[in-house]
Amino acid sequence: MKMYQLGVLSFFCFIALSQSERLHEQIYSSIEGGAACFRRLNGTHQAGCSSTDKGAVGPVLMIKEINDALWLTQNGTAGPYIAVVSTALFHDIIEEFMNNPTNVAGILVYEDAYQITSAFTHDSKCPNEYSSGPGSTCSSSEPEGFVWNEKGTDLMRRDIPFPMFFLPESRIEEIKKIEECYQRYNLDRNAHSGKPLCSVQLHSFMFAAVDTVVCLRRSASSAILTPTKVCDPLGDQNVYYPLFSRAKENKEAKRPVILVTARIDTASLFDGISPGAASSVVGMVTLLNTAEVLRSMIPMSKTYGTNVIFTLLNGEAFDYIGSQKVAYDISRGAWPPIMPLSPTDIPLHIELGQIGGALLSHRDEESWPLYAFTPNLSNNVDKVSEFVNALSSDLKQYNMSLVMTATDNIPPSSLHSFRRILKNVTESGSLTEILIADHNAQFTNMFYNSALDDYTKIGFDYHNITVGSDGIFLQNDEILAKGIMNATEIQVKISRLATSLARTLYKKITDEEYTGANQASAHLVDEMMYCFLRSQMCRLLLAADYGNSGGTENLPQKPTPLYVGVSAYSLTAPVFAGHMLALFTGMHFPELNRTTCDRIDKSEFSYLYLKGWNNTGVCIQTTMNFSQAISPAFVERDYDYASGFYSTWTESVWQTMWARVFVAASGNGALAAFIAGAVATAIAAFLTFWIQRNAQRIFINAPTGSLVSTDATTGILRTVNC
Amino acid sequence: MTLAEFFSCSLLAFGAPLAMFAMTIANDPVRIIIMIAAAFCWLLSFLLSSLVWYAVVPLRSYLAFGMVFAVIFQEAFRYGMYRLLRKTEAGLKEISENHEIGSNKLEMAYVSGLGFGVMSGAFALVNVLADSVGPGTLGLRNGTEYFFVTSAAMTLCMILLNTFWSVIFFSGCDENNYYKIGWVIFSHFLVSSLSFLNRQELYAVTILLSYIVLIITAVQAYRCAGGTSKSFIESFTVRS
Repeated sequence: MKMYQLGVLSFFCFIALSQSERLHEQIYSSIEGGAACFRRLNGTHQAGCSSTDKGAVGPVLMIKEINDALWLTQNGTAGPYIAVVSTALFHDIIEEFMNNPTNVAGILVYEDAYQITSAFTHDSKCPNEYSSGPGSTCSSSEPEGFVWNEKGTDLMRRDIPFPMFFLPESRIEEIKKIEECYQRYNLDRNAHSGKPLCSVQLHSFMFAAVDTVVCLRRSASSAILTPTKVCDPLGDQNVYYPLFSRAKENKEAKRPVILVTARIDTASLFDGISPGAASSVVGMVTLLNTAEVLRSMIPMSKTYGTNVIFTLLNGEAFDYIGSQKVAYDISRGAWPPIMPLSPTDIPLHIELGQIGGALLSHRDEESWPLYAFTPNLSNNVDKVSEFVNALSSDLKQYNMSLVMTATDNIPPSSLHSFRRILKNVTESGSLTEILIADHNAQFTNMFYNSALDDYTKIGFDYHNITVGSDGIFLQNDEILAKGIMNATEIQVKISRLATSLARTLYKKITDEEYTGANQASAHLVDEMMYCFLRSQMCRLLLAADYGNSGGTENLPQKPTPLYVGVSAYSLTAPVFAGHMLALFTGMHFPELNRTTCDRIDKSEFSYLYLKGWNNTGVCIQTTMNFSQAISPAFVERDYDYASGFYSTWTESVWQTMWARVFVAASGNGALAAFIAGAVATAIAAFLTFWIQRNAQRIFINAPTGSLVSTDATTGILRTVNC
Repeated sequence: MTLAEFFSCSLLAFGAPLAMFAMTIANDPVRIIIMIAAAFCWLLSFLLSSLVWYAVVPLRSYLAFGMVFAVIFQEAFRYGMYRLLRKTEAGLKEISENHEIGSNKLEMAYVSGLGFGVMSGAFALVNVLADSVGPGTLGLRNGTEYFFVTSAAMTLCMILLNTFWSVIFFSGCDENNYYKIGWVIFSHFLVSSLSFLNRQELYAVTILLSYIVLIITAVQAYRCAGGTSKSFIESFTVRS
């Protein structure tokens, strides 16, 4: 019987639940596709946003002009409000909200194609200011001081007292939904109190708080049987590719190595949206193409006295995680793992820094002004100017310019890590450092490390030229002659920069001018940029995917996420970049199948089994490899997190992030229900009481019971206890 | 704000039945048993009607179809409850320590009716109450913020109606008076159909008409139980 009842009950509960879901849907409408601002922590502070455990709730206020924001913070009566603001206006109002946060419950930022956003960058005015090398004069705290990223709001490094969500352009219909609800309920601002109001709830509760020290301690201590983790260190993998295999070199007399670096990662305030076109992708693509074309220029049969290691650094947006690890490992003699370098083995370090910011403003001309920064050292001026002059004169044939600046105030780049950690060699001048960027005094990129730094900001148009199953790309001469692209397009410019850099490196390695015809291909640049900036479902990544992975459908049609992420999970960006390097620079052995490819002795080269151009699988012999990109702070024992020497960034753990819109009650319904309920209950109580007490007098015609029991029978029964 | 809504609506829907329960039923174990049995009977009737609704796939989306069967099954189970009570009346009376039980034949009808009503009310309102906790209320697509209070008021109406319907129904069965039974079934259909007006957001009309039906039914139930207007007025005069 009990089971039966239970069954009935659960059946009804099911019905009740499904009905309640329907009512729930009537009340709430979820805001899909939003990216939340989340919390990161460093050795001394917390940064970013968090909602409360239940989410931040507040009536909507659409911010159409700056006055709306002022009204919200100063005169709003029904607050705290959720401000809905476009990216175009965001920079003008955010300081007002940060300074007067009491009436702000949260912010929903949306991208609107019809409003031009002139700047959107939430990194510091001096990115990675506190990890800068000696001689940096950039100071974000001095009001009139010199800064690199003038529009930077520094929100990524400040503790924001309210949650924030970002809605990309593709989700504009969600904003229309909110706007419609806002027009119906919230338009009359002065009559907000005591009315039902269109409201939004933002939920992005962060588990970690205070700073990295506290959150790591909390993560380590766990309640019985329930391990809790509240934050993870940031980190991923660096990619490096020595031009010649270094495994069989003489330990005592290693060949000197030219280090060519670029960064993989970018960042943004919002989770999952970090396109990084001008911040990092152009530099990374230039490096990949330089490696590809240099490899094709150099005859592998000969041996040369100099080697080149192309390195892609990860986590550079967060106090140079990748380059700090590389420099730290070099100083300990631990990088690369095979045949480690010592600091004196590196005569030259060239960083392809932030290039791409000036591309959009030069989209109608062939020129592209580039700048070479180098530390101000008297004893290696010759070395630097020799290299810069060689590169500059090569670029001149393409109408591009390279201007050298010798200064200790170097833009944010991995040079800072080398200058701090490998101080001996950088100061003595045995390690010469050059940074190539396309800005001079200030960033030309107004979207540095932000969600809006996408392909449109560098003027990238994808040409979608077919690639044959042999993996041969069209040469620049052919592309330009046939008019497939014109010389002002960024693909051509990037390929020319890569060609010039490769020729200059060729000269450094061989001591001869390059006389061949090999050039980097704008066609290849086109494909690479498409993979990183538009869709991972692209020709290159399909060819560079692991040969044993399943179908090709598993790659999402989104830009490759370039945020470094937490070190516990390996993300796709370094793997993509590394595989592309292997694919273009490695030896292909199509005749080997997977098992034999896996079984080859790996002491000198590593072997990767990739899909290849015709998707049948190809075994690739390569010197490309990955190394850990995690801050030395988490490697070194008993590191003092407050010392600020190494990057200490960690990312908070969260459970869910969601946002929804609904109408919040004014309370009139509740009041009506209370009054009616009290009256009804009082009347019912009185009537019941009165009628029961006077039942005999009221029910004078009462029908009597059909069975009249006698006292005798009741007496008998009452002796029985039952 | 929204927690207030939850408690206010609960008070409106269940305050009056709770007062009636506390004063007339709670002090007698036999009455409690009968009330629980009646509530269980209502559950069974709803189970059956939901099975019918579930089985007839093509008509599932038509609420009217489900409603018709729900009313029919409820009334059938009310009759079943009547048969059961009349059969067990003597036994119940014997084990009861309360000698006054059964002094009015329709007392059991009132108790079982309240059990029926409370259970139907609980079912009608629980899921609505769950959403009244907030933070949102109706209004984004359609509806107003008064949806919750009207739901609670309708629930109260149905609880009281079920109580009075049982009294009239039992009385009708005892006297073989088919008009009384007819009125119960007719008014049950009427009130249930009225709730379809809620779709047009005519909450005020629904509530007003339903409460008119409630008053008529209450008066009728009062008469069935043997009360007259004269006796009611006299009860307020000083006892002789």
